[in-house]
Amino acid sequence: MRPFQLVRPDNLAEASRRAKGDKSLIKAGGIDVLDRLKERLENPEKLVNILDLKTDLSDIARDGATLRIGALSTLAQLANAGELEKSEWHAIRDAAGKTATPQVRNRATAGGNLLQLTRCWYRRSSSLGCAHGGDGPDCLAQTGENRYHAVMGGIDCFRVHPSNLAPALIALDASVRVRNDKDERTLTMLELYPEEPYADEAEHTLVSGEILTEILVPAQPAGSRSAYRDSREKESFDWPTTSAAVRMSIDSGKITDARICLGAVAPNPVFVPDAAALLIGKAPSDELFAKVAAKAYEGAEPLEKNQYKVRLGQATLIDTLEAAAAR
Amino acid sequence: MTNKPPSRPEFSRRAFLKGASAVAAGSAVGHEIAAATQPESGATVFGTELHTIELTVNGKPKQVKVETRTTLLDALREGADLTGTKKVCDRGACGGCTVMLDGETVNSCMTLAFDAVGSKITTIEGLGTPDNLHPMQKAFVECDALQCGFCTPGMIVSATACVQKRGKPSLDQIKADMSGNICRCGTYTRVFEAIQKVGGQKVEGR
Ligand SMILES: Cc1cc2nc3c(=O)[nH]c(=O)nc-3n(C[C@H](O)[C@H](O)[C@H](O)COP(=O)(O)OP(=O)(O)OC[C@H]3O[C@@H](n4cnc5c(N)ncnc54)[C@H](O)[C@@H]3O)c2cc1C
Ligand code: FES
Ligand code: FES
Repeated sequence: MRPFQLVRPDNLAEASRRAKGDKSLIKAGGIDVLDRLKERLENPEKLVNILDLKTDLSDIARDGATLRIGALSTLAQLANAGELEKSEWHAIRDAAGKTATPQVRNRATAGGNLLQLTRCWYRRSSSLGCAHGGDGPDCLAQTGENRYHAVMGGIDCFRVHPSNLAPALIALDASVRVRNDKDERTLTMLELYPEEPYADEAEHTLVSGEILTEILVPAQPAGSRSAYRDSREKESFDWPTTSAAVRMSIDSGKITDARICLGAVAPNPVFVPDAAALLIGKAPSDELFAKVAAKAYEGAEPLEKNQYKVRLGQATLIDTLEAAAAR
Repeated sequence: MTNKPPSRPEFSRRAFLKGASAVAAGSAVGHEIAAATQPESGATVFGTELHTIELTVNGKPKQVKVETRTTLLDALREGADLTGTKKVCDRGACGGCTVMLDGETVNSCMTLAFDAVGSKITTIEGLGTPDNLHPMQKAFVECDALQCGFCTPGMIVSATACVQKRGKPSLDQIKADMSGNICRCGTYTRVFEAIQKVGGQKVEGR
């Protein structure tokens, strides 16, 4: 890490003011930030430490029918939150509890998890210049070592989105509150990520200085249950190779409503309404779930070394559908 | 590495030290530094030079000199001369540097020293001494739960936190709680045995 000034803001407006511009970087838990600074991917002049505002932003609480999750809640808090034991919101608990290690979960925040930088080893290397980092003309993964890279959604950059929480929150139709020094706005989880994930664009749509303050999870339709599952090379310490989150409602044995989101297979979390639509009006069955998984991965274009991800991703989704149906 | 004076006028080392001593006096945990420093415009800024901060390590106040970028791990090892906590990957990817922060395990390599001010830090040195081993240390010895020993301080801190939290943990709970500590020598099964042996006992740390 290069030397930096540590800014400890008194409030969110001040934090936002200080975080504006390319010389500043926001730090929450710091798990992703410290790694980037140690690798010298970035060398900010100022680190704006929003962790100091933890007491204001770390509640997980119901507000009427909505669940509000403070952006500085830790993954450990989410993994143990009693509120999330309710089957409709359970996908959040699943996703948080499977992230990283106990030590990381004790520090890492929900907001930081959604906004962490891709794990693409080319992007995260300070010695290899790639199009996404802005230091090279091409995506090095497209023709290079790409076993963990995208099998869909890549345009000119084949990174994958690493977050466990993002697919779960998308399946639950969540949104996020964001503020700068003056105004606040609400983005749906899908709007938090760029519609077209070009190499030269940021991985999320927050404007410089904007702070994610809370996550809002709405009440789910009656009879809803949700789940998150993933595949990993190691059960802990690692990011998923494929993941899926599902929410479905079942009434008198028939699925009446469903949302599905895939993770770790594309530059963004992938919301797949067409695949989910196949579930409607049907009773859960192995055959049906296999059809849905095939649909979710329809048109996937794996790279040279990640073809395994298509079959594995389908298996992960089937697993997730079964887990949700069984809740 | 630069050591130039702070470029922002609002920083005051005196005020910061005052904040640190407020911690020692046992004020409410939380934002002592900010509260005890006069913020001139909504933020306190610490420059790139050395600062003296006070950490509460194993129940005792320790003054250490750090930069803003110094990790808790480096502050403990180099500033407080507590070298029991090991630096292995320095990336949150092994657990060798595990310490407790207010009773919760964290990777001290991924925690800024500044972020640990005001918290209760427990390192391996806070658990036992060579003459008076902590029950978990004793169990590790009895179960032969180490080979090279490099992962052991982190293992014992995580293991102690597990028993403090769970009382008498099941094997599955032990495995879950120990899933953030890697042992290159493969001592896992004996580590699990050691923890089961201590499970149900009272295990204090400082
Ligand atoms: C060994 C290991 C394994 C891991 N495995 C997984 C895994 O399986 N799945 C997974 O999802 N993650 C995994 N992670 C990543 C980890 O979960 C994230 O690094 C962590 O959640 C980031 O949260 P943080 O609070 O530390 O964020 P920080 O590192 O503080 O910040 C991350 C980014 O978000 C920005 N930011 C943070 N909070 C805000 C906010 N409120 N408003 C605006 N900007 C903000 C920062 O500027 C920065 O760019 C793993 C990490 C490690 C070390
Ligand atoms: S040294 Fe901190 S986790 Fe490896
Ligand atoms: S005893 Fe050698 S690494 Fe664990």
